[in-house]
Amino acid sequence: MDEKREQPALTLQELRFAIHHAQILNGVTFDVSRGETVGVIGPNGSGKTTLFNCINGFYLPTAGKVLFQEREITRMPPFQRAELGLGRVFQNFGIFREMTVLENMVTALEGRQPLRTTFFPWAKQNRKNRERALELLGEVQLAEKAHLKAGSLSGGQMRLLEIMRTFAFGAELFLLDEPTAGVSPKMKEDVAELVRKLQNEKKTILIIEHDIRFIEKFCERIIVLDSGRVLLDDTPEKVKESPLLQEIYFGKRSPSSGLV
Amino acid sequence: MEYLIHLAILVGIYTILAQSLNLCFGLGGLFNLAHVASYAIGAYTTALLSTEFGLSLWYTFPASIVLGSILALPIAAISSKLTQDYFAIGTLAFSFVIVALLINWKSLTRGVLGIPGIPRPEILGVNFYENSNFLILTVLVATAAQLILALLFQSRFARGLKAQAEYEEAALSLARNTRRIRGISFFISAGYAGLAGSLFAYYINYIDPSSFSLTEMVFVLTIVVVGKPGSFWGVLGATFFLVLLPEPLRFLDISPSILGPMRQLLYAVILYGVVFFNRYKIFPLQRVI
Repeated sequence: MDEKREQPALTLQELRFAIHHAQILNGVTFDVSRGETVGVIGPNGSGKTTLFNCINGFYLPTAGKVLFQEREITRMPPFQRAELGLGRVFQNFGIFREMTVLENMVTALEGRQPLRTTFFPWAKQNRKNRERALELLGEVQLAEKAHLKAGSLSGGQMRLLEIMRTFAFGAELFLLDEPTAGVSPKMKEDVAELVRKLQNEKKTILIIEHDIRFIEKFCERIIVLDSGRVLLDDTPEKVKESPLLQEIYFGKRSPSSGLV
Repeated sequence: MEYLIHLAILVGIYTILAQSLNLCFGLGGLFNLAHVASYAIGAYTTALLSTEFGLSLWYTFPASIVLGSILALPIAAISSKLTQDYFAIGTLAFSFVIVALLINWKSLTRGVLGIPGIPRPEILGVNFYENSNFLILTVLVATAAQLILALLFQSRFARGLKAQAEYEEAALSLARNTRRIRGISFFISAGYAGLAGSLFAYYINYIDPSSFSLTEMVFVLTIVVVGKPGSFWGVLGATFFLVLLPEPLRFLDISPSILGPMRQLLYAVILYGVVFFNRYKIFPLQRVI
């Protein structure tokens, strides 16, 4: 075991989840080290998003444990997990469309700040938050859109805003649920660049993605889920070569063209 | 002149009532139809304390606010089980319970007979028997109330409230305790309604359950909807507009039996028009994971 592995950021132990007698997760076990980037792939209905929701606390697992930085959080309410540093980027865009781009960022920045420093509109902290928000928005070329409603942004810009917002919030672990869904091919590169920035900041990242070519560039590990089980947990190269993967995506007759 | 003072006092009371509904309905998307129930509780508290016990404004105001805001507890309980339209139905049922109590708990409220002879308040030797004096009191209280709400509307609390209205899980993942935020918004808005009720009881001198019916709730809701839910200045403007709107009708040569229904009709047409033209904006789509 290398040194990194000794400090797990996230540990899942035999995680199970069932709803209406349908077993979605069938004992998922793996851990993610600090600073590691792990891709999660699997066919539709394999339980990827459910897994994220169990980690975030939106769903309570029927059995098993979730540990964040070696602290058990299985039954902790979602907002408390967030306070510990669990960040989430939603598949259907988690930005607040009715608020301005700036307000979205400020809402994230003040999320973990004590109320007394931010309650009054004239508080010094609020000015600092706005400055910091504009600075971070500048990094994703959104500073000039700061006063527009977030709902008026393009899909790619919304995604950049949401990832940046989670960063501004101060998350340590990023759960990115299909960050390229609804993003134009050109903007996908910007999203990838932002994910690399998070890697440089030593953030721990879990990415759900359909496009293996998108994540193999920055993932050290890829986990393949199928029917709520971990089917494969290996390096991107090994996963791509595995006949199992071809099988679950395409059935037995695997096409030679590779995966999309 | 006396007539203009009367209108100004009504506007003052309604700014408090409408703006506090704007907090939980406008910002928080919480369709709380029990708002007028807190208003009723505030009015009855003031009426009973001042007629039965002769207590002064120093006691009736806080008591009305506190008892009014206690209604936030059952409303918060309803909101933890029901959301959106179901929450509206739940709170509507709850407000009917309150009105039924006011009508039937005769030993306390005298039922439909109402409570007459509520004395105007007197503080530090200044009396508010004259409407012109009472207007000053109303303006002071309403202005203070609006200033505090204006601060609240720009605060991080307001952003949390807006965030949970649009996408609860996203708000949770930014470390917002959405349940507590909702609870506090009910608490504050119910407290304000209690205060408005207290002013109303003092002003009218006589209250009965009919002042707190569903019609009243719909009127307050119309103010918020016309003013644009979530907009502080919009709702403030709409309060002036809608309270004063039917008044010119009085000067037309119409018999009172037609005048009443005409006012209702006017509000109905305005509400319908605003809802029709803004049907996608008033209730922004709530998203779920």
